[in-house]
Formats: sequence, structure tokens, C-alpha cells
Amino acid sequence: MEKVCVIGAGSTKYGKLQDSITDIAIQASVDAIESAGIEPKEIQAGYISNVFGVADKQVHLGPVIMSDLGIPEVPSLSIESACGSGSVSFREAYANVAAGFYDAVLATGVEKVTHTGTEWTTTYFSYCSDFFYEGGAGASFPGLFASMARAYLAEFKATEEDLAMVAVKNHDNGLLNPKAHLRKKITIDDVMKSAVVASPLKLYDCCPFSDGASAVIICNEKFAKKHTKNYVRVIGSGRGGSPAALQGREHLTTIPSTKIAAQAAYKMAGITPKDVDFAEVHDCFTIAELVDTEDLGFFEKGRAVEAVRQGMTKLNGAIPINPSGGLKSKGHPIGATGIGQVVEVFDQLTGNAGERTVKDAKIGLTHNFGATGASCAVHIFKSV
Amino acid sequence: MQAAQFTYSKVYNLLTKEEFINSAKSGKVLARKCTKCGHLHLVTTYFCQNCGNKGFENVFLEGKGSVVTYTIITVPPAGYEKSVPYAWVVLKLDGVDLRISGFMANIQSPSDLPLGTRVKIAGYDERGILIEKL
Repeated sequence: MEKVCVIGAGSTKYGKLQDSITDIAIQASVDAIESAGIEPKEIQAGYISNVFGVADKQVHLGPVIMSDLGIPEVPSLSIESACGSGSVSFREAYANVAAGFYDAVLATGVEKVTHTGTEWTTTYFSYCSDFFYEGGAGASFPGLFASMARAYLAEFKATEEDLAMVAVKNHDNGLLNPKAHLRKKITIDDVMKSAVVASPLKLYDCCPFSDGASAVIICNEKFAKKHTKNYVRVIGSGRGGSPAALQGREHLTTIPSTKIAAQAAYKMAGITPKDVDFAEVHDCFTIAELVDTEDLGFFEKGRAVEAVRQGMTKLNGAIPINPSGGLKSKGHPIGATGIGQVVEVFDQLTGNAGERTVKDAKIGLTHNFGATGASCAVHIFKSV
Repeated sequence: MQAAQFTYSKVYNLLTKEEFINSAKSGKVLARKCTKCGHLHLVTTYFCQNCGNKGFENVFLEGKGSVVTYTIITVPPAGYEKSVPYAWVVLKLDGVDLRISGFMANIQSPSDLPLGTRVKIAGYDERGILIEKL
């Protein structure tokens, strides 16, 4: 297998954007191309992750993006894996470069949904569940994670205030990220007093619906060395699955696909969770970050709460989690999120993370899943 | 029992989702039991998740059990506006290793539904599988 690298990364601001889905996808793609110091003609394939292109009247995004980049002849594909679309797309790009099919490819993730309103998004997101049993019985996505939260709080004697601490921490990080959607300091009291969306989760336990696009250039190491010294290596890549419906899982306080993906990625990288300097994890809801950091092996089952209470996951903690602000504060444009995590790790490991830089970081991990973790991808990156 | 309407069911000689819905209306859960290892699945599974076998026998389970978790929805998807607040509930069926989830009306606050509350499958309509307290 070829050694695989990321040599360029770009992102729009996440939030409520005015430009069209194709416009923002192009903006992020051009940023990534320029950051890599390459020409579009050097790109041999495009991997486009998106879920609700239909909401902004553009599906089959790949050829549009390739055409606008001046390379209409270059093959592309669109990948949908719910909120995990970005990392799944990254994985396919990684695998094709590793296999030697291509020297350099573009992976762009994009979403444009905020103009549709809360009812539309709540309804359409519910189609990402196992609809017959979940969305089709009134379960919203906050509701599904709320069900995990209730099980977690009961099993590990944690409190809603513990969940709130995750939101407060991620907002603190997001304040330092110019591209974050919700740049606002919040308190535990703010979270507790926010409106209940799906008990026990309140509005401030939930990530926002966001627009946004992120893009990276993925290539083999020979190509990387030819163009730049400013790159990171992909040293681990893992994927996993879980029963699509929550009812199919023996334990509701763990996500099987995360464990499977993480174990594969750690094994490929030849490292253990202790070697990871920071991680961008899928905190679509506060409960998810607790579950993720346990399933990724940073903390034992049921101990993430204690770690958050002690500040271990803060920017200056033992294992900073979501230095970007995470989905909670940076935002969650679902097709872009998994790529956006890679952009953050690239920026961190190449000295471009500004005020939110994780000190002395060499190894960063991304963790992104679809729906309630029915599909998952974990990637591990190392600075050169 | 009516003959199966769908091609996939003819192939595997199994009862269908439609019959699952009919059984829910009479308070039963139509499950598929692996003929090789005995693992139980709901009606939407065609190969055993435990051993990979494709042989199943139809089993009608009593639709009674205990709440393992739930949420109370206040911001609903389209179609549920008039039901708010309501619960979406996961219950474990009595005596078997099988869980099922569904819609439960008239739940206002967590004090209305402590974990472990005894519940039953009470029907199926446009709101999905319906669950009620026993």
C-alpha cells in the first residue's frame, strides 16, 4: 500500500450561509487546492460527501464541482452516510490512494439546510434513522440520543449538569475558532435553562443545524514531498457498523461501530489510545461526546464524566477533545463534518490552529459517525 | 394466515412486515427465530445476526415488557405536532433477549414513566408501533 498524506485543507465558515451549495463547496475546494499548492489539473478524482443536496436543488454534485474547477473530465462520486458522510468519503479517498489507483484526489464535504427550517430538518434527519422503528414512530434525532442519555445517566449515576459541562467546554473552544457557527460563551446554567428538545436533552445539549463546506487534498507521499513540506500522514484508518436501530443493541451506552473502527485504526497505526494527543469526535449531542471518548478508549466505560469534571478534555487538559469546538459549537453541516474534522487536525498538526492550538501535538484522531453510530469511521494522523 | 405478498418472503417462506403490523394490532410481536442457533430477530432481518444462517421460523411473542429507556419529544418531526409531548420508548420483551421501540402517547414528564415501567404493544397506526402502560 502507498503511504497516504493530507497536503491541503480548506473550509468555509460554518453557520447560516447565503451562498448556494455549489458555491460553498467550490470555496472550500479552492481553499484546499491553494493550501496544497497544487493545480486542479493534478487532481485525479473527486469524493463529494453530502446528504440533503435536494434541499438546495443540487444533487450529483461531483461533476458540477469538477466542472467549476476546470477539470470536467475528472471522475467523481457522491457519498451519503448520514452525519458520517464526510469521514466515509475520506476513507474511500484514502483507500483509493493507498491502493495506488490515484496519486492525488479531492475530498469535499458540503451541506446547505438552514434555509429549510426546524420542522423540515427535524423530519428529514429522522429519515437517517431505521425509519420503520424510529423516525416512523416519532423519534427525532435529539430523541434517539436523548434515549441513550437517559440510559447513560441511570447506569453511571451522572447528571444533566455533567452533560452540560461538555457543551460549555466545546463552546469555550469554539470561541477561539473564527469559522465556528456558535461563537458564544455559555454556562452550565444556560444549558440547564434552555428549552427541552427531547428530554433529557435541552437545546444547548444539541449541535446546531449548519451550512458549510470543507475540503482536503489526499495524496501519496511521493506526490506530497514533490509539492510541500506542510503535510500530515494518515497512519490509521478504520470503519465499523452497528445495528441500525437502537433497539438492536444490547447496550445503549456504547456505540459498537466506534469501537470496531477505532480498534482497526489503532492497529493500523500501531498505537494505543494513550498515544493520541487530541481528538475531534462526533459530539452531535453532549451525551455523544461522553460515549465516544469511552468507546475510543480514552476513558473506561462510565468514567468520561469524571474526566470532564476534572477538565481532562479541555484544550489544556490531558487529552483535549474537540479543540475546534466540535459539532456542538463549530457546527454540524452534516455532509461536511467528517472532512471538517480532518481540516482541524491538519491545521493543528501544521501550526495553523491559532489560539486553539493543542500544545506539542503530534498525533490527532478524527471520529465521525452516521445516525446513532450505525456507521462510523476513525482516522489517525501524524505530523511529519 | 394469509399468503405472503412480497417476493422476498416467498423466497424465504417468512411472514411479512404487513403481518408484523397486524400482529402488533393484536398485542403480539412477530419475530424470526434462527433455526440453527435460536437467536431472535424482528421481522426486518433476513439472515441471522448471530450465526449468518438464513433459516428462520416465525414466532409470535407476547408484546409485554419493561421500559429500558425513552425520551419525551417536544420538538417533533412532521406529522407528530398534535401529539406533543409524547414518548418514544425502547422496551425489553419479557422472557426473551429482544427489544422493540415505539410511540407512547400522553407522557408529560419523566415522573410519568420511570425506567422499568411495565408496558405492552398496543397497536400500530400512522404514529408507528404503539406502546401503552400495562
